Amino acid sequence: MRIKVLAFATFREILGKEKEVDLPGSASVKELLEALAATSPRFKEAAFEPSGALRDYVLLMVNRKRIDPEQDLSRILAEGDELAVFPPLAGG
Amino acid sequence: MLSEEETRRYARQTLLFGEEGQEKLKRSSVFIAGAGGLGSAIAFYMAAAGFGRIRIVDCDAVDLSNLNRQILHAQVDLGRAKALSAYDALSGINPEIEVEAVVERISQDNIKELLQGCDLIMDGMDNFPMRYLLNRAALESGRPLFHGAISGYQGQATTIIPGRTACLSCLFPRAPPPATFPALGSTCGVIGSIEVTEAVKYVTGKGRLLENRLLLWDGLDSRLEEMAYEPNASCRECSDVSAKAVGFTQIGQR
Ligand SMILES: [Zn+2]
Repeated sequence: MRIKVLAFATFREILGKEKEVDLPGSASVKELLEALAATSPRFKEAAFEPSGALRDYVLLMVNRKRIDPEQDLSRILAEGDELAVFPPLAGG
Repeated sequence: MLSEEETRRYARQTLLFGEEGQEKLKRSSVFIAGAGGLGSAIAFYMAAAGFGRIRIVDCDAVDLSNLNRQILHAQVDLGRAKALSAYDALSGINPEIEVEAVVERISQDNIKELLQGCDLIMDGMDNFPMRYLLNRAALESGRPLFHGAISGYQGQATTIIPGRTACLSCLFPRAPPPATFPALGSTCGVIGSIEVTEAVKYVTGKGRLLENRLLLWDGLDSRLEEMAYEPNASCRECSDVSAKAVGFTQIGQR
């Protein structure tokens, strides 16, 4: 299954703008994020706590709609879905 | 009624929304939180556009490291309170409007008082704890909040209308850790300008606002993306006040 990953802000510097990720069979949002972390230690450090939990401020959008990381990490992705992942910007 | 001077001053923009729209701008009072990078762009364009009353609040003094982006302040202002140099710059651009400069740190204790008499809240802050304060004040009083934030070449913006849209905490339930962010003046210009465009649209009743939409600007790639979001049923800020907010009069609402 092929999923498009869009990264913004500091995650974009790590992952690049856009990435296609191939996952065997069906996969949840959490599994996709873990697959990204497995290929990029920098992403792992930026997006995950040392405990392995996703950092609580990370924003996730599936097909450009916000999902709630507290409830929807187990959401199963479909072929062609697009996941956007980024931290909020805070400066002014 | 607009004076003859005002009619001439605003001739190019009354082509967009008429004298009637200009009078609406003249009658509106805005609260600008912060006179930093974003606050500078916001304040300049709001003053020039003729928002009738501008209250700009900042507790800091001008530092040399601010001048790459905080265009309200000049070399001669080094060491002065930012709110005061903001006052000079804004009154200089447009003597027809009323500018109030407040040298104070915005806090839970003074925010209600600071907002008194203001219809719109403009986000020129540089941290999330302060933005959450603005968000709560917006929800409690029914005032719209025009959000923007930047880091380096990138920026984000959205518009919060209490009772009608999700709130800032629905979108950003948790703040990122405090950090020193890179800042480019022109990025502040892009995002501050978007916030002001939203405010102009809100007051004059034109166009489609960034309601439940997050705009993401990447200056490195010269691309703008849009993401949708919804009220979050478990939001700590608005799930209990949304019922209350419905009863408020929303100033300037179409
Ligand atoms: Zn909310």
